[in-house]
Amino acid sequence: MKRTITVRMMKKQENRAGYMFVFPWLFGLIVLGIFPILMSFYISFTNYDMISPMEWIGFENYRILFTNDSLFWKSLGNTVYHVAIAVPLSIFVGLALAFLLNNKVKGMSVYRTLFYLPNVVSVVAMTLLWMWLFQPNFGLVNAILDPLYDLFNIEPLGWYLDQDLSKITLILMGLWTSGGSMVIYLAQMQDIPTTLYESAEIDGAGWWAKTFHITLPLMTPSIYFNFIMGLIGGFQVFTMAYIMTNGGPSRSSYYYAYYLFDKMMADNAMGMASAMAWILLVIVLIVTVIALKLNKFVFYMGEDS
Amino acid sequence: MASATRYKSRKTTKTITHLILHVVLVLCSLVFVFPFLWMLFTALKTPAELLRGIQQFLPARPQWSNFITAVQAIPFFMYLKNSLIIVVLVVTGTVFSATTAAYAFAKLRWKGRDKWFIVMLATMMLPIQVILIPTYIMYAKIGWLGTRLPLIVPAFFGGGSAFYIFLLRQFFKGLPRELSESAVIDGANHWQIFVKIMLPLSKPAVVTVALFTFMGAWNDYFGPLIFLSNPEHWTLALGLRAFQTQYGGQYNLMMAASILIMLPTLIMFFFAQKTFIEGIKFTGIKG
Repeated sequence: MKRTITVRMMKKQENRAGYMFVFPWLFGLIVLGIFPILMSFYISFTNYDMISPMEWIGFENYRILFTNDSLFWKSLGNTVYHVAIAVPLSIFVGLALAFLLNNKVKGMSVYRTLFYLPNVVSVVAMTLLWMWLFQPNFGLVNAILDPLYDLFNIEPLGWYLDQDLSKITLILMGLWTSGGSMVIYLAQMQDIPTTLYESAEIDGAGWWAKTFHITLPLMTPSIYFNFIMGLIGGFQVFTMAYIMTNGGPSRSSYYYAYYLFDKMMADNAMGMASAMAWILLVIVLIVTVIALKLNKFVFYMGEDS
Repeated sequence: MASATRYKSRKTTKTITHLILHVVLVLCSLVFVFPFLWMLFTALKTPAELLRGIQQFLPARPQWSNFITAVQAIPFFMYLKNSLIIVVLVVTGTVFSATTAAYAFAKLRWKGRDKWFIVMLATMMLPIQVILIPTYIMYAKIGWLGTRLPLIVPAFFGGGSAFYIFLLRQFFKGLPRELSESAVIDGANHWQIFVKIMLPLSKPAVVTVALFTFMGAWNDYFGPLIFLSNPEHWTLALGLRAFQTQYGGQYNLMMAASILIMLPTLIMFFFAQKTFIEGIKFTGIKG
């Protein structure tokens, strides 16, 4: 009898301690997370410039954005273009690097460190560096490509100064940080038990068979993780364009988050900016759910075979 | 005899594949590392040398004075001080709020724990813009706009630390439960267990979190851009952007300034690369 009381007391005490330990985070989550999310949903139905009082206007912000704002569609199109190319490409490059390093080569950890290096530097500094590398007249990239330009008799590319190439330039620069996802892929690759490969070899499986029937299926969790993170980051791409192109030339690299930033900081159009944020949230949510369905499919296939 | 030749030829193919592999790896390394070297070469060149592009591969006479010019062109040490103030406080706050929350999630049973844990994981998916606008308005209302507080205070309340909480929780979970149970029997309370047993045993994980937070805060551009309207509070990342708008074409000076802002994180990475790689693996695989 006495014992159950002490146990119950200890449980109560633990419950209280739990709340105390989690309090700073929980307080932050509610005040700086959940409350703002609900607020931004409300604000998205208002007209608010931070000076005059908030004015309820119903779906007007959404209506204007969808039906009467070509820049909204332009920036959304630019962003979708960026995501559609950058996300698969960076997964491909990250995986390719991981496959390269998964060959029991000497100095693997040195290569891994070198490949990872660009991930630790400031995005502003990195962008300035690549502006210089892509600089059409004196930059290193065009200097290296010069023989090719001569061979095919074409004009040197203008990279971020060319409206047809500005987004591609930013995507290529982004690939420089592929070493980040590579580390994750490589770690998961090395977790795959070698016995799997050995028995596959006995069955006569070659490199292709092993890669597509063992390695890749077993790596779907980390590929999925990088895919989701890439999507979420890709839809919010901002700083690179802000520094390198100012969204130009001719708005060709004016991304969704950039337009939202301008609505918020330049126009003080908080209602409109909130509507844009919620549209972004819904887009990310829909794409994530689709990816989730896709992931289950791939992953279970891998587990069954 | 025949099998011996076959063995030999297989060995040769293997050597050749290995050779090709190494050539490819060295080429890849060049792509990742050479830009840094080119940056240094550029920073040491004269303006005339810049115009010669690749023809002037190395500077004829290294212009170390470019670094001095770059530092003097902007209030570099003021920006450095501002960056350090923010970084130190953000690291302190994040380590505090992430370790306490992680301890609650890993080692204590309280009502609603598992639900809140899912909420925490969900916050990782949110686009920052959804939260940004109302918080911006809130900070304006309480007079925090134009101060450093919006960048510092949230760190003490778990702002942006979902990843770290997750990482620390996994680490705490790995520590044997008997340790804390015997301490409870000895009459220790949960705070004492946390400070005297859990934290010292979790040093590697805490260091990882501190390093990642340092890097994130040092390199952060978006947060300061939104909240630091007063140039007196600008961080190095903002200062570098200001430098760009002022000295746009002078790439030698711009590269010198960029190197200076990259240096601390690069040095830190070289000394703690193992910690970093382990931390990334962890979030990527277990997440």
